[in-house]
Amino acid sequence: MKKLISIKVILLSLILLNCTNDSDTNEVIEETEFNIKEQQTEFDRLSMLTFWADNIIIPSINSFYVELNSLNEYASSFTSNPNPSTLTQLRDQWLTTYRKWQHIEMFDIGVAEEIYFKNRMNIFPANVEKIENNISNLEFNLDDSVNFASQGFTALDYLLFGIAQDDDEIIAKYSDSSQNYDSYMVAITSKMIELTISVKSEWEGSYRDSFVESTENTATSSINIMLNNFVFYFEKGYRANKFGIPAGVFSGGPLPDRIEAYHGEIYSQILALEATTAIENFFNGIAYGDPNSTGLSIKNYLDFIESDVTDKLSARINNQLQTGKNKINELNTNFKNQIEENNNEMLLTYDAIQSTVILLKVDMLQKLNVSVDYADADGD
Amino acid sequence: MLKSYLTKSKVHPAPLAVFRIIFGLLMLVALIRFWTNGWIYSLYIEPDFHFKYYGFSWVKDLGNYTYLLYSSCIIAVVGIILGYHYRLSIILFFLLITYSELIDKTTYLNHYYFTSCISFLLCFLPAAHYFSIDATQKEKSIDAIPSWMVDGIKLFLCIVYFYAGLAKINSDWLLEAQPLTLWLTSKYDIPLIGEILKYRWVHYAASWSGMLYDVFIPFFLLYPKTRSIAFVFVILFHIMTKIFFPSIGMFPYIMIFGATIFLDVQWHKNQLEFLRKFSTKFSQKFNFLKLKFTTSKANVSFKPKQYILPLFISFFIIQIFLPFRYLTYPGELFWNEEGYRFSWRVMLMEKKGYTTFKIKDSINQKTFYVDNADFLTPFQERQMSFQPDFILEYAHYLANHFEKQGHQNIQVFADSFVALNGRPSKRFIDPSTNLNQEIESFKHKKWILPLKDEIHGL
Repeated sequence: MKKLISIKVILLSLILLNCTNDSDTNEVIEETEFNIKEQQTEFDRLSMLTFWADNIIIPSINSFYVELNSLNEYASSFTSNPNPSTLTQLRDQWLTTYRKWQHIEMFDIGVAEEIYFKNRMNIFPANVEKIENNISNLEFNLDDSVNFASQGFTALDYLLFGIAQDDDEIIAKYSDSSQNYDSYMVAITSKMIELTISVKSEWEGSYRDSFVESTENTATSSINIMLNNFVFYFEKGYRANKFGIPAGVFSGGPLPDRIEAYHGEIYSQILALEATTAIENFFNGIAYGDPNSTGLSIKNYLDFIESDVTDKLSARINNQLQTGKNKINELNTNFKNQIEENNNEMLLTYDAIQSTVILLKVDMLQKLNVSVDYADADGD
Repeated sequence: MLKSYLTKSKVHPAPLAVFRIIFGLLMLVALIRFWTNGWIYSLYIEPDFHFKYYGFSWVKDLGNYTYLLYSSCIIAVVGIILGYHYRLSIILFFLLITYSELIDKTTYLNHYYFTSCISFLLCFLPAAHYFSIDATQKEKSIDAIPSWMVDGIKLFLCIVYFYAGLAKINSDWLLEAQPLTLWLTSKYDIPLIGEILKYRWVHYAASWSGMLYDVFIPFFLLYPKTRSIAFVFVILFHIMTKIFFPSIGMFPYIMIFGATIFLDVQWHKNQLEFLRKFSTKFSQKFNFLKLKFTTSKANVSFKPKQYILPLFISFFIIQIFLPFRYLTYPGELFWNEEGYRFSWRVMLMEKKGYTTFKIKDSINQKTFYVDNADFLTPFQERQMSFQPDFILEYAHYLANHFEKQGHQNIQVFADSFVALNGRPSKRFIDPSTNLNQEIESFKHKKWILPLKDEIHGL
């Protein structure tokens, strides 16, 4: 009895010590080593993260960066020699680069998150008034958050399509250097390059290694951040921004001027479809730029968790993604026209996408039991 | 026999004094932890809107005065530990901590409710008649209190365990090993044991042993011959739960330390003797504090007030029947959550929801969806999304808000999907019900769509 009592005292004091020491960095390192060893027998999270980094994230950023440099060059050649041909070239390159952007907007992690990369590249609608102000007085700081909606792709959208009624007038504005349109455009493309370089160089540095090694299930681990970001992007960046808000789901009436690439108009469907492809590829583990190269993915992860389930959640998610994609394909290439002529179709598309949100946010996150990315209270 | 037990059976007051000190220390740690985690702000000050328990909408949130409330709680807890103005301290603590719990039901936790119940009982127990500053100052010492006063605490702990165990006797828990399958599989990163947590047999073993532990541990703690080994099991079990579920916070510690009440009187006397020596040394160094605890010979006999025994009996009758109130509701308890709280259903289900609200101005027929993030914290939104009473209360709040904005004859419809214990998500709330017309009550909420899958069991 006496012995037991002293054991108890030791145990109790151990717990008290443990109580004050919630996080232990040593444990994290041990865990990582563990996962590397146990890959043969269970789902290989390290390999999934490695595939994400090396075959999806880094290649898509690199490819985007190459196109962005071309965009910058075309912008220079257009502003130094504005004519219909250079304008068309620049617009084409803008679209090419914008499509590449759809593949990386969801990776809001690391430096990209710190510098508000997605907010500065693609927040819409563009703040036209602010842009015109910036242009007329040339006193602006693009790093200031008040200018987030007056830079990036949406600002270029306005600068390339929206500043005048027709192409001749647009070209005329760039021909007159005293109007500053040319210098503002170059300032914007340069800033886009600058921001992209900081994201790209982070992934080229040690960040990639720490990213792939962070396989544990904590609020700050790579897997959890990526899953949360993926779901958040799908709900906000994809569902709400591209469909819900312009269709008026949150406002009681349609807002066609809230579509992506509003001034170019005809590109909204292309961009939405590109984003859909990016989402499908990430979910299913298809390498960027090479549909034949595949790796471990959320789909495989779900299938691993549901190895004894016949009606696989991953299949239901893919089906619903396909349903949404079919709906988008049926829409007018110009979402503005679609909303103005038959918003019901837009709303139905939104509903199809919304069904996927539920599968991702409720079913998927329950199955994967991901630690949530916000601080909260205890549970029991 | 019962009568002679209630009137004649006596026990030494040491276990109750130790329990008072342990409970106070645990609460001190819990309060400091709650404060330093920033939860006073994030749970009670930051939200614009608080979910209220039915019948307690009069409880007002206190803004920055919440810090004052928690400061007072900490002072009261120090009083409890030292046994200094004990009665005042424990009553103050019970009222303040319960009030803070009533501010927002989003934060409901079984062990917060447990805390309120224990502190309620302690208001009426002579926990500071022995080994306390109060006793020392009054120069009164007792050596016997009615057994039922200590046994009451034991009974309460037994009820908590036993009911937690009964709740686990259901088909999801025992036959599907849910929700432990979902939870344990995701704990692959726990050192050493993380590796085996993906195996089905582990999920079943954990489910069954958890149920058996909860149902039987009270009896093994009560029976003297098994008491010591049972206590070792208590420690091991709750350490395991803390490892698997770090987010259960103070609960394991409360249960481990609380269970010391079952140990022999001699154990408690030893602890107090140790404390007495410690405090004597301490007060020699800092003699201005005058921390003197005497354990001198009894010079008075203790007689409890007449009303306490009937009060305790009523308390336990309520405790015994309250968890079964769910039987008066139709439908699946885990799905509808009608009669779910205050019943020691601990770590029993994994429920995730997604609920958005459609506002319809029935005059101009305009509809729009609400962004919950505009009104709720992420924690509130998560809790709201799968609990019908939250959904209804929030719907009323939204209607009120938009009516103030000039909309007229507001109708509120919920677009709600919930997944329970790994089942595919399904629609939770009837989307055609105007929630603004529904009234909160203890009656069954007909607008909850049925689970259409039965979870068998208690």
